[in-house]
Amino acid sequence: MHKNGVRHWVVPCTLLASALVRWCIGLGSYSGQGTPPMFGDYEAQRHWMELTNHLPLRQWYRYDLQYWGLDYPPLTAYHSWLCGKIGSFVDPSWFALDTSRGIESPGSTLFMRSTVLLSDYAIYLPAAWLFTRVWHSGRSRRTQNAALLTLLFQPALLLIDFGHFQYNSVMLGFTLLAATSFTSGRDLLGAFFFTLSLGFKQMALYYAPAVGSYLLGKCLYLGLRDGAQLFVRLAIVTAGTFFLLFLPFLPPLAPISAILDPITRIFPFNRGIFEDKVANFWCATNVVLKWRFWASQSTLMRLSTLLTFLGFLGAAVAPIRAWLRLRNQDRARTTRTEVVPSVMQTVLLLALLNSSMSFFLFSFQVHEKTILLPLLPMTLLLSTAPHDSSTFKLGALANNVGMFSMWPLLRKDGLAAQYIALTLLWNRLIGHNPCISLRQATFLDVFTWVVYLGCALLHLLEFAYRPPARYPDLFPVLNVLVSTPVFLFTWLWSIKSIIEAGWTAGGLSVGGSESKEKKAGPGVVFPSESLNSGGFSSALAPLEGVRRREGRLRAQSLGKGVFG
Amino acid sequence: MAVNSEKKDDSPKPSRSQWLRKALLDVTASEYDILALSTAFKLLLFPTYRSTDFEVHRNWLAITHSLPISKWYYDTTSEWTLDYPPFFAYFEKALSVPASFIDPQIVDLNNLNYSAWSVVAYQRTTVILTELVLAAVLMKFVRGAPDPNIQRLVSASLFLHPGFLIVDHIHFQYNGFLFGILLLSILQARQGNLLASGFFFAVLLNFKHIYMYLAPAYFVYLLRAYCMSPQGSILPSRFLALANVVTLVFIASLGPFLLMGQIPQLLSRLFPFTRGLNHAYWAPNAWALLTAADRVLLQYAKRFGASFSVDASGVSSSSRGLVGDTTFAVLPNVRPMHTFLITIIFQSVFLVKLWRTPTHRSFLTALTLCGYTSFMFGWHVHEKAVLLVLVPLSLLAAENYAYFRTFMIASTAGVVSLFPLLFTPAEHIIEVLYSLLWAIVVFGPLQQRLYEFPRSLPAVIVGSLETMYLWGFLLLEIIVTLCPVITKAIGQGPEKWEFLPLMLTSLYCALGLIWAYARLSFLYLTST
Repeated sequence: MHKNGVRHWVVPCTLLASALVRWCIGLGSYSGQGTPPMFGDYEAQRHWMELTNHLPLRQWYRYDLQYWGLDYPPLTAYHSWLCGKIGSFVDPSWFALDTSRGIESPGSTLFMRSTVLLSDYAIYLPAAWLFTRVWHSGRSRRTQNAALLTLLFQPALLLIDFGHFQYNSVMLGFTLLAATSFTSGRDLLGAFFFTLSLGFKQMALYYAPAVGSYLLGKCLYLGLRDGAQLFVRLAIVTAGTFFLLFLPFLPPLAPISAILDPITRIFPFNRGIFEDKVANFWCATNVVLKWRFWASQSTLMRLSTLLTFLGFLGAAVAPIRAWLRLRNQDRARTTRTEVVPSVMQTVLLLALLNSSMSFFLFSFQVHEKTILLPLLPMTLLLSTAPHDSSTFKLGALANNVGMFSMWPLLRKDGLAAQYIALTLLWNRLIGHNPCISLRQATFLDVFTWVVYLGCALLHLLEFAYRPPARYPDLFPVLNVLVSTPVFLFTWLWSIKSIIEAGWTAGGLSVGGSESKEKKAGPGVVFPSESLNSGGFSSALAPLEGVRRREGRLRAQSLGKGVFG
Repeated sequence: MAVNSEKKDDSPKPSRSQWLRKALLDVTASEYDILALSTAFKLLLFPTYRSTDFEVHRNWLAITHSLPISKWYYDTTSEWTLDYPPFFAYFEKALSVPASFIDPQIVDLNNLNYSAWSVVAYQRTTVILTELVLAAVLMKFVRGAPDPNIQRLVSASLFLHPGFLIVDHIHFQYNGFLFGILLLSILQARQGNLLASGFFFAVLLNFKHIYMYLAPAYFVYLLRAYCMSPQGSILPSRFLALANVVTLVFIASLGPFLLMGQIPQLLSRLFPFTRGLNHAYWAPNAWALLTAADRVLLQYAKRFGASFSVDASGVSSSSRGLVGDTTFAVLPNVRPMHTFLITIIFQSVFLVKLWRTPTHRSFLTALTLCGYTSFMFGWHVHEKAVLLVLVPLSLLAAENYAYFRTFMIASTAGVVSLFPLLFTPAEHIIEVLYSLLWAIVVFGPLQQRLYEFPRSLPAVIVGSLETMYLWGFLLLEIIVTLCPVITKAIGQGPEKWEFLPLMLTSLYCALGLIWAYARLSFLYLTST
């Protein structure tokens, strides 16, 4: 389409198409549809709209906890309140207290689906758009739009939010806004957005080590005076935002004990290490090791905390180290740029990936849906990478296996057709093609083939046979065994890449660093400033050439094919 | 495999995937993209609203699978009796075989209104798969077209047509497959294989008899261009060949029923002459405008005293809104014979022109106009029949700017006129968004390529009126969406005003379709 003089229509068309796809997914069934008495996540969200609209605020975290008691932070509660308010205006029976439990009328379902779409378009969509415009500011409009498509049609997120029914895109959208703010140098704004993300879903804590380390590193980079100033400001903004979010539960408006209700609801410490079959370290090793017989609950908890901590060590250290290396180098040059160096953008994304993946793999009480958190930075990295890079290949693999790991859940929700459709749609859209000749194949390619083969075999087996009575969970367990290695591999890759990127940070100087530039190739982002400086143009030329050749989205080749 | 490592050539070697593509019908990457993306989207439509046509086709699967062929056209277990020609029955028979393996309940004759996931997924999948016929033919259209780029766009627009999405993938029918056969016949005609063209059209007629709307154009064209020499003398051998081919097709289709002496029963199923002038929802044609005029005159007569005679049955007919038979209160009633005569007269004008200029392009235009005339003036025309106009018209879209404008107006009005088929709010959003997207992607580039500056004042005026008309659809959509809200707010019974959005849609679309009809007729008759 770009060639046909209708380029200004690309973004509106993308928005229209993504809204259409989101809406169509919503026509399918949702979590817990028609399964009284408890139903599922859909009913949980609807129930929160009901209770926030009818109960005084103090009761929100106390009311009938056995029936989907509110266990997300206040921003979710406020969001529920707003949705419930609008919904009650249209039809009060949708959110009547107690009597509306389990309501599944077409009108109410339609309304609930539209709230997800509107929330998504209010937060995630602008965040994705800004990301493509800020991070890829030196690239062509075509590359930017390609990245936008990659982000908007990310299959796992779409299926969970619009099929299964949740509002993850709001939390992820805030995190994305935070990351974009950081990289454009607006640290306070970023801290504000990240606090909102935490205030919407506590799950965003999985990103916290990376964000904390990045900001601390920035403070150190700025030196004693400026750094301390930034540190204090960040502390004020973060604490202030949290204070505002929890204001109704704090002393002037409520007794001091009131704050305990949301806190205890948000952080439940008294559950097992894992519940369902999740493709993480514990579940996978449990097949052989049977953790519950070996160790007590508290030992396991400690072990898992230790492993998680070790897991995200890279994310916690690398950004600080990279900033420090930058400082040393800048000191040598006695200049300090206001622009955030491009390598720090990559380091930030890798750190986000590393820390959220460690939480997913090693921490306790993880849901299969939590894979969405590591998938966000992975997809962001992918959207910046050329097609033949390992970042791109691994990103596509991780996304597809992320889908696959949620298959048991999606099957239960009745979303099989949507599962196939979105996998097909997204892979075709980004132009993922694992079929390359054996001669050129790298280890990653072979690994990808083996994994895809495993996925396909498992799907076929499940389609053809019922699981034996002795092992009713056979297929979910096999699913875990196929998926976990991929996530472990991604985690290891994130550690390796973050170390490499850290080295690059030290060696980064204008001119004469071409080899290192290329080495950090996966996902290194070049801001427009460096594009314009002469020293980089030679280093850039081959990379850009690759992008032009390979990094083209399918949809655009389609556009070109049809309209060109 | 094809790459030999010993070879020393500098040219880029064909990779294996390219070699595979060559084998798979020479499909380009962008065509695979369209196929993959649209298939993914159609999969998402599995859970959407299904009309009774879904049960109709399920029942036909059951009839053809569980009854002997002698009972197919007699069975009345379900009210949805088999009323398509035999080829379609054979087609259903073929589809019923895998269905019985997947879920035997699908083909159980007494299992009425079966709507399990298995039958939905199976039947929807058959629509997607049989539509590949359309995809393959449209692809062949691109190869060997005078301007492949523009033909690619036209082909893509047809494959992704909102009409097919609404009628086939949501409402449920097999139009994609059937139009695939029609386009195959047209493609054969373009390549000069007129005998094959006639063969495929005869086959198509035996799949669904609604394509008879197009038969006059085929008849005249094949007779003139195939059975006669350019000088006008008859070529007997060709005539006999064509006659034999068509007869053989009909024997293959009707033969078994002929032997069993069931032809009268079959015909009574295919042509039930007991229906009214308008369908429940007025198809946007001339009769819709006439009916509306009658209603207006009736209101006038009620208010200001009748200066003309009012038919009592017509008054009651109007109060029933849009349902059932239409009897005019003021205007003289229309009988089937009238519609038949009017259709024949209009068609014969175009057929004379076709007789004089039997070129392929002339054939295509005459074919479109033939279907268009039947749609405009036919008895009990169904709104879905607008596809018979829109599909061949799309092939003419890229001729020049005048044709493109006609195409744009007719397509917009035709697609919007299909909207009332889906009345559930969720599906309504889908059809509106999808059609909008389609319009941007198809009209934008075509307009860019074909635009011509208007050369006279009337052309400017007409052009701006047309543009206003097209923007009017936005207003129409807003009114149609808000209508239920307003009637609910002012406390009127929603049932009482239910007909209003339907009538508005029908009339507004009828205006555009009639104008496009006039445009196309003018273009055809004045062309040299």
